[in-house]
Amino acid sequence: MAVTAALEWLGSCSGCEIAILNIGEDLLPLITETLDIVHAPLLMDHKYFGQCGEGVALEIPDAVIGIVTGCVNNREHLEVLQEMRTKCKVLIALGTCATHGGIPALMNGQDQQESWQGIFTTVSTDPGAEIPDVEVPPPLDRVYACDEKVRIDMQLPGCPPNPEFIAEVIVSLVEGRDPILPSKSVCDTCLTKREGKGTVDKVKRFIENVEFEPGAPIDEMRCLLEQGYMCMGPVTAAGCAKRGVPGCISARVPCRGCFGPVRKGGNQLLDMMNGLASNGIDYKSVVDRRSILRFTGAHGRLRPVKKHVAREKS
Amino acid sequence: MGFEPKIIAFCCHWCAYAAADLAGAARMQYPHNVRIVRLMCSGMMHPEFVMDALSQGADGVMVLGCHLDECRYRDGNYRALDRSDMVVELLEDFGYEPERFNLTWVSSQEPDKFVKAVTEMTVRIKKLGPVNDVQG
Repeated sequence: MAVTAALEWLGSCSGCEIAILNIGEDLLPLITETLDIVHAPLLMDHKYFGQCGEGVALEIPDAVIGIVTGCVNNREHLEVLQEMRTKCKVLIALGTCATHGGIPALMNGQDQQESWQGIFTTVSTDPGAEIPDVEVPPPLDRVYACDEKVRIDMQLPGCPPNPEFIAEVIVSLVEGRDPILPSKSVCDTCLTKREGKGTVDKVKRFIENVEFEPGAPIDEMRCLLEQGYMCMGPVTAAGCAKRGVPGCISARVPCRGCFGPVRKGGNQLLDMMNGLASNGIDYKSVVDRRSILRFTGAHGRLRPVKKHVAREKS
Repeated sequence: MGFEPKIIAFCCHWCAYAAADLAGAARMQYPHNVRIVRLMCSGMMHPEFVMDALSQGADGVMVLGCHLDECRYRDGNYRALDRSDMVVELLEDFGYEPERFNLTWVSSQEPDKFVKAVTEMTVRIKKLGPVNDVQG
């Protein structure tokens, strides 16, 4: 008998859903035999308030497996997430937004009022326009990851998550075993050539290409950190590797850190800076280092910078 | 005089912790605000220790180690020094005042220096106020 599943998206870009559709050949038996999808706003027609809008309260059908993507950004997200939690037996947070805040949580690093002003008013906005408060759900005080608001049974980060592991998680749940997921860092899955730290004392910005032989395989390219680029591989969880090479590295681009910290509760900014400082690399050469938390701004990690105020002497 | 800060002091086993021990044995007086955590070397102070302490309610964090070139592990305190500059800057990124962190060298025969460092830090933190005091 097929296992019922409900999919839901909160503050996200639909990239995670595309990753689900990107599972490939395994997707067909998954959605025709293994799973019986009862609710998925992005992929099929099932509405919150009844098919003709006759309902009064938001309703999601009961399901065994629930998959949520995206961060909790406003009251609507919160309501949907709580409904998912009550209706689903196992709730999976899929994608970096759901597990660590993701790109939307970058907003936690600046003043929320100013951000909203910036979103709804520009130089060319007609006078009299205001921040809407009827059609747009009111925002929460900051952007949250799903596990800050409800209990989450399984976390599967990635921007986008690796389709291979989405399938693995679903299949393992149905088969009643623990999923086999990578637990190490991106560097552990990277094939580039390591020749020792060398003379790097500053990190370069990625405004010029890395050195490599065009057409040559990845294992003939030197480690990007050793080339002096700011590669976040050491502080980022593995999982992006397809065909044996981490996603960005296979495109000869330094890792951006999209899978979040290696350990649960880790802090990529602290770990990266610590790694640079203890290897004698000038940490001041990192431009805009707060943006290292670009994928993990929830859980209170990214906060507005305090403005220095001259205090009155009493 | 209501505010009594909590200060976490990470002391290296070979120098600063021994100095604190000696200060106690010599019955020297120092503020009770400081809570000592023993590390084997000041060089093992990960910036996460500092951030964790502050995020869980400590008002200040100190790291105390051997004088430079006197490290039991040869260059541990140089690593602590490299990191401390960075920690001070990162504190601002995370919304804390950089004054909440302090790095001091104390040898095992200098309990007076230990007492002085701890007392100065307590005075400094008392002026700053509690860590979660919201300032515009």
